[in-house]
Amino acid sequence: MDYDKLFQTIVNAATLGSTYALIALGYTIVYGILKLLNFAHGDVFMVGAYVGLGVLTVFGGAIDPSISIWLVLCLMVLAAMAACAVLGVVIERFAYRPLRDAPRIAPLISALGVSFFLSYSVQLLFGANHRTYDTFNMAGGKLYEPALTIGSFSISWLRVIGIVSAVLLMLALWFLVDRTRTGKAMRATSIDRDAAAMMGIDIDRVIMFAFVLSGALAGAAGVLFALRTDLFPTMGFTPGLFAFTAAVIGGIGSIPGAMLGGFLLGTVEALTVTYVTDWIGIPVGLSNLVIFSLLIVFMLVRPQGILGRPDIKKV
Amino acid sequence: MATKLLELKGVSMAFGGLKCVDDLDLHVDEGEIVSAIGPNGAGKTTLFNLVTGVYEPTAGEILFEGESIKGLSPHRITQRGIARTFQTLRLFLNMSVRENVMAAAYGHTKAGVLRSILRTPGMRREEREIRELAEKRLAFFGDRLMGYRWDQPAYSLSYANRRRLEIARATATNPRLLLLDEPAAGMNPKETQEITELISQLRDEGGYTILVIEHDMHVVEGISDRVIALDHGVKIAEGTFEEVATNPRVVEAYLGTGAMERK
Amino acid sequence: MTEGPRIGKDEWVARSGENIERHRLLNAADRVPGWARLVLFCLFVAAIPLVTDDGYVNVIVFDTLIFCLLAIGLNVVVGWGGLLDLGYIAFFGIGAYTYAILSSDKFDIHLTSPLVMVICVVFGALIGLLVGLPSWRLSGDYLAIVTLFVYQIFISIVTNGNDLFGVDLTGGVNGIANIDPFDLFGRGIPVSHEGIFNSNYIYLALGVFVVVFAALYLVNHSRIGRAWRALREDELAAELMGMPTDWLKLLAFAFGAAVASLTGGLFASLKVGVFPESFSLTLLITVYAMLILGGVGSQTGAVLGAVAVYVFLEALRDPDVSGWVFYIAIVLALLLVIRPRWMVAGVLAATVVFGFVVHALAGAIDDTWTTTASPEADSVTRFLDAWVVIPTSPGDSRTIAYVGLVALVLLATTVKGVWRWLALVPTLYLAAFVWENVMSEQPDVTRFVLLGAMLVGVMVTRPSGLLGERRVEIV
Repeated sequence: MDYDKLFQTIVNAATLGSTYALIALGYTIVYGILKLLNFAHGDVFMVGAYVGLGVLTVFGGAIDPSISIWLVLCLMVLAAMAACAVLGVVIERFAYRPLRDAPRIAPLISALGVSFFLSYSVQLLFGANHRTYDTFNMAGGKLYEPALTIGSFSISWLRVIGIVSAVLLMLALWFLVDRTRTGKAMRATSIDRDAAAMMGIDIDRVIMFAFVLSGALAGAAGVLFALRTDLFPTMGFTPGLFAFTAAVIGGIGSIPGAMLGGFLLGTVEALTVTYVTDWIGIPVGLSNLVIFSLLIVFMLVRPQGILGRPDIKKV
Repeated sequence: MATKLLELKGVSMAFGGLKCVDDLDLHVDEGEIVSAIGPNGAGKTTLFNLVTGVYEPTAGEILFEGESIKGLSPHRITQRGIARTFQTLRLFLNMSVRENVMAAAYGHTKAGVLRSILRTPGMRREEREIRELAEKRLAFFGDRLMGYRWDQPAYSLSYANRRRLEIARATATNPRLLLLDEPAAGMNPKETQEITELISQLRDEGGYTILVIEHDMHVVEGISDRVIALDHGVKIAEGTFEEVATNPRVVEAYLGTGAMERK
Repeated sequence: MTEGPRIGKDEWVARSGENIERHRLLNAADRVPGWARLVLFCLFVAAIPLVTDDGYVNVIVFDTLIFCLLAIGLNVVVGWGGLLDLGYIAFFGIGAYTYAILSSDKFDIHLTSPLVMVICVVFGALIGLLVGLPSWRLSGDYLAIVTLFVYQIFISIVTNGNDLFGVDLTGGVNGIANIDPFDLFGRGIPVSHEGIFNSNYIYLALGVFVVVFAALYLVNHSRIGRAWRALREDELAAELMGMPTDWLKLLAFAFGAAVASLTGGLFASLKVGVFPESFSLTLLITVYAMLILGGVGSQTGAVLGAVAVYVFLEALRDPDVSGWVFYIAIVLALLLVIRPRWMVAGVLAATVVFGFVVHALAGAIDDTWTTTASPEADSVTRFLDAWVVIPTSPGDSRTIAYVGLVALVLLATTVKGVWRWLALVPTLYLAAFVWENVMSEQPDVTRFVLLGAMLVGVMVTRPSGLLGERRVEIV
């Protein structure tokens, strides 16, 4: 038993899972209320990463920032969250709200248009070349040093920060949705919009709140993700797709479902990359094929997801 | 000896813990007009949904012409000979009046993709026949749905005409059994009178066996050979209109306990 | 003679459909019967290679026909079947790769082209049936998700296909090259004469297009088409009126897949090489944009949408033409949005004045903020340089201006009346600034930015598409 590999896989799973969960929450919150698959969400995530880059540049870059790098990192996350929250609200207001009573396909197409617009706009402004936060040079490489060591296994600061931040955000979200009035209003609206409206809930504000939450989470995820990889205009596509899948597996519309689905998918991906490819003998690139085939089977067996409720239609 | 066209034996429909229909036995003989009455929520529309295959019963048997139709998909059941109208109208609003009725002829026509592309004489003949069938069915309602009306979109029709169109559409499936779900709902007295006559005509001239859900007792009285009363998914009375209307359980279901006593 | 409204008679209501005002152009177009439209289109397209020798133009015509085919194929799935197929391009790719494998040096199989095309259609239809089966159990949203997964699987196979259990099936990232050109009854149609595109391919594509268009038209005007329409109107009611909705949806799906696959084969025969990048999500969204803009459900709309969007995209790529296209498009958009129409002139005039003022101010504040064109440049360039602020080194102002432009445009759509006209002046000027300083530098990227914006704009203002019919919906 290669414990090293196992441990690495677990850490991978947690890291990937936390990112997917954050993004998945955004999909699920919006779907729960609007029954809309927000295809533009992955690109909001990407914008968050670029906002983080902008903030980093303003403060002088990774190697020699004008203020403490830890402060810069916090500002990057906060700025990305704020910017993406605003972006989410703007998108809702102008691309989705006018289509609230249109046939179901209309807002979906609109979302595709927004996605297109966002990713190509970023390419226009920042070029298609890959950029990075230059994380390796931050604080003299501190982020890659082990933060926790258990026996012969260690986790780097980078990963710890990533996972902890994500978990904190999820807790904050849970609190907002479960304990506040607006959160309750959100849940009511997602069950029955018309009834909620008749109970005096301001639907427009609730929806706006949902997009603020989903945008903020995506923005944070964007920065956390970009700390570990490159930035490029279409970077939102694959994580967006995976996170979206995670939301669906967990039960789209269900918040605990999104978190569960996120970590589940992160685990599946980590396992597939490390182990399955060796077992079946297919190249890593084809692991996508395995994952998506399994997902299709899953959708056929249980389309409402693990924690979702099946739709009952009244005739 | 009347043949049982439709037969339900011990049919139950439960959604989770809620039993919408509970151990229901009922039958409709060929050539009959049977009315199903009962307060709202009694399970009447659920009954229609069960018979037409929208729901599958959680218990019991449903037989049509002696054969079980339980578990068949709705379009198969329609092709076997059962057609319905809806409590809240469900027309093909953006299609023309004629097209609405023509569409319903699908189940008993057979031109496939290849023949449609090649426009074989058989396919063209079938199209003509479908068109003629539609016009004939619409003619049943007198002048109201004739002539220039055929090409008007269904959404331009008045409410009463929409109800008539829905009946015409249902008959285009060439059914043996017609299920009419509140055909007189929302109609004024004159229209209600017309509908009453129409339903009898449908049986007498069209030869359809009819099962009607209705709230308007004038209609029920005017058309029914037999009446079945439901409440909370259970059959509480069955017989002629007189028998059922004076049945204490039925009165209680509609007017509450003590209604009989006050009389 | 039309009577006025009367109590008890609803004839006037019934005739109301004739009273609905529709664009005069559309009414004229409607009176031309379907067949005539097709013939006119063909004559127009066939004439182009006779009129011009320009290989570039001819390639554009061929590509446009490919897009027309893709659009009418997608129309069957989305417009007639009511299904959202996000994996549609996968079928296009499957057809292309099938042709590539069966007609190239790759495995040294050189089947004759008509046979390969038939194989493409059949294979595409079969895969389409397979992929469409989930529609029996899954509702619209979930089906869309599954089709997206299928697309991912396709991309995965195609990109990594150079090592599938030891077999090199698809050539991986490098694709398959050296595909045989199309051969008709043993006579090959060379792809080019001395480097110039062989316009016979246009006739080939046109032939395929006519056959497909006609076949789909005929299917749509049969009981199957009627059933599809009923299915779109009210699926449950259609099912209960004897129409097998499951099978009908599957049929639409498979049809779309077959058309896409056939188009893929045609595409491969000309392009001589197929690569995974040719089948990107961008392509999918572009085809969707074509269909949506033209009007979902209408074949004519799909074709017009395909032509309009593709010409638009290609025009924006050409640096000489792109500026014109951009500015003209803006003026057209203004005409659609501003009432009364003559006010457009006022807004434009105000923008010109505003521009000169800003330009003068900018130049006064800092010399490097404006450029002056050389006297040899043409009048348009000199006008633009004198009117638009074009800093010598734009830097961060690009991003700020861009975001500002989006904000201003959105603001302009929110306010009404006089405020809108006032808001439009700086917006238009800023748009010119962004165009000259940001967008015109990367036309390849800009055109998709504009397409995305247009897609959202059209969906929000006219969900039935530019040429589609307004539908009455029960929500």
